[in-house]
Amino acid sequence: MLYLIQLLISGLAIGAIYGLIAMGFAVIYKSTGLVNFAQGEMTMITAYIAWTISTTVSGNVFVVALCAILAAVVLGLVIERVVMRPMLGEPVFATVMVTIGLAVILRSSINFIWDAYPHDLDIGVGRTIVRIGAIGVRTGQIAVIVTLLALLAAIWAFFRYSKIGVAMRAVAADDRTALLMGISATRVHALAWAASSVIAGIGGVFFALSYDLSPAMFQLGLKAFPATILGGLDAVLGSGLGGLLIGITENLAGGYIGSGMKEVAGFAMIIVVLMVRPFGIFGERDIERV
Amino acid sequence: MRTGDFKQTYGELVTLVDSPPAWLWSAVLIATLIAAPFVLNSYALSFLIIILITMVGTLGLNILTGYTGLISLGHVGFLVTGAYAYAVLVSKYQMHPLIGFLGAGVVPALASLIVGAPSLRLKGLYLAITTLAFSFIINTVILEARWLTNGARGISVQRPEIFGISFDSDAAFTWLCLGFAILTLLATLNIRRSRVGRAFVAIRDNDTAARVMGINLHAYKLFAFVTSAFITGLAGALYGIYLSFVSVEGFPFLLSIEALAILIVGGLGSALGAVLGTILIVLLPEATRLLFSLFSAQMDAMFTTGAQELKSMLYGLVIILFLRFQPRGLVGAWHDVRRMWVNWPLRY
Repeated sequence: MLYLIQLLISGLAIGAIYGLIAMGFAVIYKSTGLVNFAQGEMTMITAYIAWTISTTVSGNVFVVALCAILAAVVLGLVIERVVMRPMLGEPVFATVMVTIGLAVILRSSINFIWDAYPHDLDIGVGRTIVRIGAIGVRTGQIAVIVTLLALLAAIWAFFRYSKIGVAMRAVAADDRTALLMGISATRVHALAWAASSVIAGIGGVFFALSYDLSPAMFQLGLKAFPATILGGLDAVLGSGLGGLLIGITENLAGGYIGSGMKEVAGFAMIIVVLMVRPFGIFGERDIERV
Repeated sequence: MRTGDFKQTYGELVTLVDSPPAWLWSAVLIATLIAAPFVLNSYALSFLIIILITMVGTLGLNILTGYTGLISLGHVGFLVTGAYAYAVLVSKYQMHPLIGFLGAGVVPALASLIVGAPSLRLKGLYLAITTLAFSFIINTVILEARWLTNGARGISVQRPEIFGISFDSDAAFTWLCLGFAILTLLATLNIRRSRVGRAFVAIRDNDTAARVMGINLHAYKLFAFVTSAFITGLAGALYGIYLSFVSVEGFPFLLSIEALAILIVGGLGSALGAVLGTILIVLLPEATRLLFSLFSAQMDAMFTTGAQELKSMLYGLVIILFLRFQPRGLVGAWHDVRRMWVNWPLRY
């Protein structure tokens, strides 16, 4: 029983990280209609920048957090402006291929800007173990779950009530009509890239806090795919929750079946989800008119 | 007077080669390639072998991505399945190499059926995601199934001997790869000009319209995927033989990206494009290395330490730049040049 609860909690914690990155996927998909294959790499870059700040500027938690968020915003905006915007209006095939190219470039840039060895993001928080009864939980694990829930609420409110959020939904629903209503699609796209970069970046920093930083971190993006497919590619909140489900599934599979299963449980789930409910639990079914 | 590019019958539209000199040039090219092993040193020959093997794999992906317009990010999964199928059948169970090659095609084709059946029912990018997942799952499966695949230790593979002809020497192996490359090229060209190929292209260009015309989307997409996996599996077997050792590490994920880069650089949906793209992309890292080593020895050192990273960076850059500035690829550029040459001094 204790083993099960322990697995569930660490599953929730890693699932929250997947959830954050999956929300990053969903934000971009929702407003631009494309799957950003470079999401995991963007997450990794943000985490590395956070690490650089913590070792060179200051180890203060707030400084690191603020700088990391700023860096993520800049990263998202730069990628949108330099790489993605010129591809506006091109077929989805081409834009998606561009994100794949971008992913490969960002992935290998790690080895040139930083190095190939694993690092510790140690800013003195997140590693203390809190005991609840017989179960030990790291504060970082609690923090990431709380952050995910807070962000879920914030994003729900943002899309529901704020003017920009409504504009983003409008662009996602029908970009031509949105343009006619005076919404700038490019600005919405830029905002989506920045937001997605920040949300996923937070996930990346939390991952670096509780585990470590290595050039293989981009695989978080691959792990988050099942989450966003499960939750629904166009459902931001659903993707966040999907992350939690995937995290738990993965940990249970790893704990009870075998460690090899842990790696592939999420991917196996994608195939099952696509067979049963291809638009995800919370996604909208695509209805196409001829 | 006949000017321009006239087609007067349907037969002319679907001929393999539309001008007699092209047959001559192809024959000259093939003769040159057959003679090449006698002239080239072993370093240059290794590039020729890699180009031929990569060409087989890329032509396989071209059926899926170029003709049918579906992205697969996991073709390295079929490559590795094909290599293992060959290695297990030939090295482990001492079967005839031809059976090995057959297995190298059939096993990935079966795997593609499992991956493709659920994901091809859907529109959009789902295939890209499931194939990506597949390429990771298959690695775990191979590592876990130790009784069959020796797990992480891998399987060593001998160069085959078929009907008394030994392909042990580099020259002979080049001819084997050349044979496979020519057969694959002919096969894909023939698929393209048949009813099936036209259905693929119709699906790529407008799937709703294709469906209205009575094309069974699911069946044809699945057929494209299975064919593509079959050919890619053959390329995997050849690559495994070339490496003389089959292991999961020998087939990094980068190979999937490389294949896509080749298709984009060459020009999507064209067999000639796949060939031109293969030559450019395989030689690109080497060419860049030579270029940089002219400037400084330090750059040269960087290439030897971070070879893999520089390669992936180059592939990424090439993908982005070509999609942005020359979306029709090398083939498009070639067509432009040819038209200019024929019509000069008129524009068209």
